[in-house]
Amino acid sequence: MHTWRQRIRPEQIRELSLIGLIVIALLIFGWQIENFLSARTFNRITSSVAIVGMVAIGQTLVVLTRNIDLSVGSIVGFTAYFVGSQLAANPGLPPVMAVVLAVLTGGTLGLVNGLIVAYGRVPAIITTLGTLAIYRMLLINYANARTITVDSLPSWVVELSRQTLFAIGDFAVRPLFAITIVAVIGFQFVLAYTVFGRRLYAIGSNPEAARFAGLPAQRTVLAAFVLCGMLAGMAGFLFLARFGNITAVAGQGIELESVAAVVVGGVNTFGGSGTVLGALLGAFLIDLLGQGLLRWLGISEFWRDALLGLLILLAVASDSVILGWLRRVWAAPALRAEVSNEG
Amino acid sequence: MQATKRHLFFAVTLIIALLLAACTPQSQTPAPTSAPAPTSAPAPTSAPAPTTAPTGGVVSATPGLDINMILLPKFLGIAVFDQAYEGAKEAHAELGNKGNLIFTGPTAENSVAGQIETLTNAATQGVKAVMLSNNAGDQIAAAAQAAQAAGVKVVTWDSPIPSAQGESVFVAQVDFNETGRVMADMALSILGPQGGEFAILSASPDAANQNAWIAAMKQVLTEPKYANLKLVDTVYGNDQSEESYNQALALVDKYPNLKLIMAPTTVGIAAAAKAMTDEGLCDKVKVSGLGLPSEMVSYTLSGCAPQFALWSFKDLGYLTYHLTYLLASGALQGVEGERFNAGRMGTYTIEKDPTRPNGLRVLMGPFTVYTAENVNQ
Repeated sequence: MHTWRQRIRPEQIRELSLIGLIVIALLIFGWQIENFLSARTFNRITSSVAIVGMVAIGQTLVVLTRNIDLSVGSIVGFTAYFVGSQLAANPGLPPVMAVVLAVLTGGTLGLVNGLIVAYGRVPAIITTLGTLAIYRMLLINYANARTITVDSLPSWVVELSRQTLFAIGDFAVRPLFAITIVAVIGFQFVLAYTVFGRRLYAIGSNPEAARFAGLPAQRTVLAAFVLCGMLAGMAGFLFLARFGNITAVAGQGIELESVAAVVVGGVNTFGGSGTVLGALLGAFLIDLLGQGLLRWLGISEFWRDALLGLLILLAVASDSVILGWLRRVWAAPALRAEVSNEG
Repeated sequence: MQATKRHLFFAVTLIIALLLAACTPQSQTPAPTSAPAPTSAPAPTSAPAPTTAPTGGVVSATPGLDINMILLPKFLGIAVFDQAYEGAKEAHAELGNKGNLIFTGPTAENSVAGQIETLTNAATQGVKAVMLSNNAGDQIAAAAQAAQAAGVKVVTWDSPIPSAQGESVFVAQVDFNETGRVMADMALSILGPQGGEFAILSASPDAANQNAWIAAMKQVLTEPKYANLKLVDTVYGNDQSEESYNQALALVDKYPNLKLIMAPTTVGIAAAAKAMTDEGLCDKVKVSGLGLPSEMVSYTLSGCAPQFALWSFKDLGYLTYHLTYLLASGALQGVEGERFNAGRMGTYTIEKDPTRPNGLRVLMGPFTVYTAENVNQ
């Protein structure tokens, strides 16, 4: 007999409950704030989720292996500035080359993280805390107090954030958001169906067991960091297209936002469980709460950071308590069945 | 096992060190950072013309001394501060200073602590003068006083120390009361006599210059001429493009009748203009404030930011350097009424700062208001 318990895993409950929370938040804000449920709010949230969501995909890959990448904010900033200055110097650079340049730049910075963590055996939190500061300093030296301005960029970059791919009524789907959605779907498949994806879960669930089973743990962790860097590089390109004016402080704080999205999205900080889709939903929920509270209570940017911190704590706490309980509930009938079979 | 323990110990030590580093400088002198109320009468200083040579008592610099100096901006990575450095370098070469001119500053998120640290370490590094664009309110006063006591001249430019404690002289780019009037006038000219709602997008809540301009503007707005201009909110983008961009959009969402965003910061005004352009809101919400012509030209021509104002940051750096060199060499004492020669910019006078009870200032000026007619020049 196939019960619903066998079709749905406890982890998927997390994603369903996130959708539930998003709907509840939408209803409350829509009831309290005039004109909240509008195309404008949708466009606002999708535009900002496009950047954080892209970073959160990479962060998910790394967190799945029981690591963390705190340097993503600096990678986003460095890539945005570097690609921006290259485009300003060579306006004829084809769009594809600009994207490739962004991904390669991010990938290189990710490679450094990965080598130190996987082969140098330095804890990821220390490594990336260090490279967070080092990459930022590289950027400050490279930027030399100059700002990339909208005027210096080719028009196709600047207009990327204004265009609409297709619209349903006033609800516009913009190129930046579409790119992120495509990446989320792609990596959702990679995680679910490829050998590499399953290895990430295996290594995060139990690193010792994965090693004894002969999985190439170091190479896999390295690959996770490189991919995370590449995705952060891609996010850097999106950042450049959206904001146009890039200073040496660009992208600061994205590390916190991406970790928040991943954790709220149900990716376990001890590795081994979670999905890219969950992280995207997490990014949505956080941005929705931020937008809603900003307009409802008029909270400031400072409260937004505190809100992020609170959400991370709540998500981690509820993760261990609620998910533990759910797993017991799921396991109970199976145990009873076994007992009765034996009896 | 051993390795794990060592890592853990290292991590804990690091976290404690970070916490300590973050906490200590903030706790000094928690004085109010809001700018002192401007004097009631709008200062009649709109056209400072210090170029005429006075009769006597004008101090000139002795070139070729050996004075190490630091130019300390609010933080690194902002175009206008780089322009100020250009001006300071010009004066440095002109005066043949054998010492070093060091351009250094904190990163944006560490601005307050970083400025205090640089100022605190200046004396031990053989620096004779620090030129500071203060981003730390009065929190920096204790460090500035200590530096002065150790023989380091502290001259502020762009943004002063509100209480003037620890500061020799402030080089004001423009009269702060006049900034308020220029902003109010631009708002009136854009919105017309029927007026409407507008909001301010500032840099950081600790920036003394921003707060003084906003206070001056509020004062000007009480005059009957500006009765229809309604200031609904003041928000902070911390001179980060993305934060300013998001705050500008949030203002539009929050105030459906908003007609103008006034950003007295070059980062804020450019980000707000980009946000309005991206969302197709330029017909409804205009942008104005203080901006760099090179960053604003397309928005001014498109009508999104029809008017904005600024002064020359290069001249500000040049003038600040001259004054600081004179103070550090002992040629000037830094008292009211002293007159000095500032190279190509002519003669200036140290005077009482009308916007700060105990402060002294040198007033540069004037404003240039940019419109579609002159933004390309």
